[in-house]
Amino acid sequence: MSMKKLKEALEAGEFTITAECGPPKGTDIAEMLEHAKHLLGKINAINVTDNQSAVVRIGSLPVCRLLSEMGHDPIFQLTCRDRNRLAIQSDLMGAHILGIRNVLCMTGDHVSAGDHKTAKPVYDLESVQLLQTVAALNGGHDLAGNEMKGATNLYQGAVVTPEANPLEPQMLKFEKKVKAGANFFQTQAIYDMDNFRRFMDRARKHKVKVLAGILLLKNAGMANFLNKFVPGITVPQELIDRLKAAGKEGALECGMDIAAEQVRTIKEQGIADGAHVMAIGLENKVPEILKRAGIA
Amino acid sequence: MIVSKAKERQDVINMLEGVKSVFLLGCSECASLCGTGSPEALAEMKESLEGIGKKVTGTFVAKTGCQVLGTKVELKANKDEVDAADAILVMSCGAGTQSMVEVFKDKKVYPANDTAFLGNMTRFQHFDERCSMCGECIIDKTGGICPVTTCPKGILNGPCGGTNNGFCEVSPDIECAWAKIYARMERTGELEKMRQIIPPKDYSKKMSPKVFVIEKKKEEK
Repeated sequence: MSMKKLKEALEAGEFTITAECGPPKGTDIAEMLEHAKHLLGKINAINVTDNQSAVVRIGSLPVCRLLSEMGHDPIFQLTCRDRNRLAIQSDLMGAHILGIRNVLCMTGDHVSAGDHKTAKPVYDLESVQLLQTVAALNGGHDLAGNEMKGATNLYQGAVVTPEANPLEPQMLKFEKKVKAGANFFQTQAIYDMDNFRRFMDRARKHKVKVLAGILLLKNAGMANFLNKFVPGITVPQELIDRLKAAGKEGALECGMDIAAEQVRTIKEQGIADGAHVMAIGLENKVPEILKRAGIA
Repeated sequence: MIVSKAKERQDVINMLEGVKSVFLLGCSECASLCGTGSPEALAEMKESLEGIGKKVTGTFVAKTGCQVLGTKVELKANKDEVDAADAILVMSCGAGTQSMVEVFKDKKVYPANDTAFLGNMTRFQHFDERCSMCGECIIDKTGGICPVTTCPKGILNGPCGGTNNGFCEVSPDIECAWAKIYARMERTGELEKMRQIIPPKDYSKKMSPKVFVIEKKKEEK
């Protein structure tokens, strides 16, 4: 089945599905490509993470290009942790000439979270300024105002945490990101649909597309871990109980059911413009989740 | 003030390998408040070095160690003690240490402390970093709280996704700078200001080495 690309799908008002690909540490990419192949024709676009969790891996950009050659519409995740404004702009232009058309602008997890804790974090820019940078390059000028020979044409997105506590400063930043040129948002994982609806009521006041972050729960232990250690993610007790009741054998199936129900609810009730399904290493399960959600 | 921390004693001893006699110099300003260059700290260092067979030719606490000329004048009274020493061990910040490097051209000068940061003493001998001397103060836009310094990512436009019930994902000991900024600007009625996007910083203002000369006003000339 041929799928519309990200921008096309969102602008057409179609319920849009994105998934995620995390490049490995090391040069053996066979498994990563195999997972990506499973997703062909099932999703509109695929995010490629940028040294996620500040752990060194293959760069996002070359993997974007490989997935593009495979037939995917890649979303180039770009963080400000590892590059100054020179490197950021040159990577953005590089993305354009490699045929990449989507970029997700993020500040990036701090190096203290990763596997090179003694590294110097850069943060010359941050997410809002990165969005402004993309807008400048799309307009044919670099950040210093110099004219470029050929502008970029990048559809720019950003992230938001609907369950952030406190929420108000997060919403203020959300508005800044819109003002800085974000066309679409992919949210941090959400589980409480009422909370998410309240967030969307506010997000809908802006002319941006929002894809709800759906994170596959593999078992109750993972849910407890998220609640305890990951800021901005809250898994309700009810879901944890369901995963527990499913037992060791059935937990993953149950997690897939939960993810599928979430996607279905968001689509059927028109809560958001799409879903960003994060399976963290189990990308091969995404097609089945979408099938259970009544998509594809 | 400039916060300094005493180096591990063994590191100081290793530094002084081959040095038989030392002159100890402290500072009455920041290093005294930090307990790293006070008369007590010098006395303790003297005892410790003598305990391993070093000769301490003299000790002195400079009024303001980073003030090169003033310290040079002050030390005239200790000339013989300094001359008799193989090296000067400076118990102040890196600026005070380099004052000695400048004054005593042919003398070995070593640092006893690590210079940590520009700190506010918020409780007795408890220092918090609030300003990182970026050269371009923007805290009029951020409720008087510096995100360049107090947010580990130095984010200028609001909290990241790691904001965690008022704390930072980097460490549970760090308060989220942006949660604090928001709360304060709400109290001071400045939230509208927080909607403005703060542009990228001008890091040329932070480029080292810096020189600053206060120019005399015309009428004073």
